[in-house]
Formats: sequence, structure tokens, C-alpha cells
Amino acid sequence: MIGILICQIVLSIALASIFLIRPSLTHAASWKILAFIGLCVLPALCLVGGMNTHVQRSEQTQFCISCHVMIPYGQSLYVDDPGHIPAQHFQNHRVPADTACHACHADYTIYGPLKDKMQGLKRIYMQYVSTPPDPAAIRIEGGFKNAQCLHCHLGARSFGENPIHAAMMDSLKSEQTSCLTSGCHDTAHDVANLSQLKMWRPTQ
Amino acid sequence: MKISQIGIGRLLQVSSFLVIVGLALEIVSLLWFHPLSFVLFAFLAASLIGLGILVYLVSLVFIAVPPAANRE
Repeated sequence: MIGILICQIVLSIALASIFLIRPSLTHAASWKILAFIGLCVLPALCLVGGMNTHVQRSEQTQFCISCHVMIPYGQSLYVDDPGHIPAQHFQNHRVPADTACHACHADYTIYGPLKDKMQGLKRIYMQYVSTPPDPAAIRIEGGFKNAQCLHCHLGARSFGENPIHAAMMDSLKSEQTSCLTSGCHDTAHDVANLSQLKMWRPTQ
Repeated sequence: MKISQIGIGRLLQVSSFLVIVGLALEIVSLLWFHPLSFVLFAFLAASLIGLGILVYLVSLVFIAVPPAANRE
């Protein structure tokens, strides 16, 4: 996919180069059309393609953990303990392994992707301009929302038929009871104690 | 300086230059797997390409305006 986009960009550069060297060519009608394609249509398509590729790339687990402070969070996905919610989801492919971070942390509302990008830019600013936070001290603004869990679990048979979930469904939907901090599924990324935990090594 | 004094040829050259630099930066951002590559794309490459397209469109408007001598 990136290969096709790069070929398109190279073609666009080649066309634009013609008009950089010989702008007088546009006196002829056929060259005017070519100029419109080379300086307007193709660059616009390259922009759309580039944005699409970058957005898809930013959803990858490898992209998230390429930031230094996120490395322990990436390692926590390999904790060998079914009580660790992110590790359990990642290791059993309950979320796509290559987009594991995005699956649980994306904002699924209409303007969610835009909010996520703004948050990402804020973190880049913290990483490169201000002081990067201590990985163990990182907290999600406003806490982890049940909506993230319910996006996948709501309507699932095993989730709905669980008597505990069924009894508190309204409370879970209205965020009155948190899936994580209510004491039910309270172990997420335990990065502070990562060195003491047993790790799972996947076999190829 | 009026736009007519700059000339269509110069506008096309400026547009081409901006588009070429923007697209070259887009290639770099696509080949560089790093969070900063998104910043490079969104703030530099996309701005330059967008500006290049805008300059080209301005040159089109400039072509569409008939010379003052032919208006009557």
C-alpha cells in the first residue's frame, strides 16, 4: 500500500518538476490539463493517501510503544497472569494484537479520532519539548471509561449472561460503576511492578 | 507588487517548488516509522503541498481574468 502511494508521489514530483523547469509549456492546452493534474489533482490525492496511511500507522501497537515512556506498557502486554486485563486481551487475541493499544484506548465517538490525535500531539510535545512523565505515573485524563470495554463486550453472550454483569448493567452503562476501579477487573498495566512479574514468551 | 507583475510562469514555478518539497517530505515521513513522522507530515509536508495547490489555483484565477486592453 505504501509502495503504491510512494509511486504516486514520485509521479507527481516528476510532473511538478516539468513545470518548475519549463513553466512556459502551459501555453498549450494539453499541457494546461497536465499542469492541473500534476499541480492540483495528484498532490491532493497524495495528501489524502498520506493522511490515511499515517492514521492507520498510528493505530499500530509498534507505533504506540516506539515512544520511550510507553515501552513498559508494551512489555506489560506479555505478563503471564490472566488477572492482568490488557495482557489477557492481547495474548488471547481478544483484541487484534497489532492494534492492541488502539482497540482499548481509542475514543469511539464521532470526534473521537480527532480528540485522539490531539492527545497524541500533546504527548509528543511532552516527550520532546517539556518533561516526559514517569511511565508509572501516567494516568488517563478522567479515568478509563466503561464505554471502551462495552464497545466490544456489550451484546456478547458471555458478557450479558454473566449474572454479575447483568445485575449491574445499567450502572456500567451510565459509568456509575467502573469496570476497572470497582474492584472487579482492577489490574491493568502494572508497570510499577513489572520487573517482579513473570513474562509470557510467545512461541513462533 | 501586483499579481500581474509576478507573472503566471513565476507562480507556476513557486507552486511546483512547494509541491515538490512537500511531496519529498511526505516520502520521508512515510519511510520513517516514528511518532514525529506524523508531525512532519501534518505540519510541514501537508502545509507545503496545500500552499502549492493554492498558489496554482491562484495562477488559474489570474489566467481567467482578461487583460485590461481586451475588456472593451
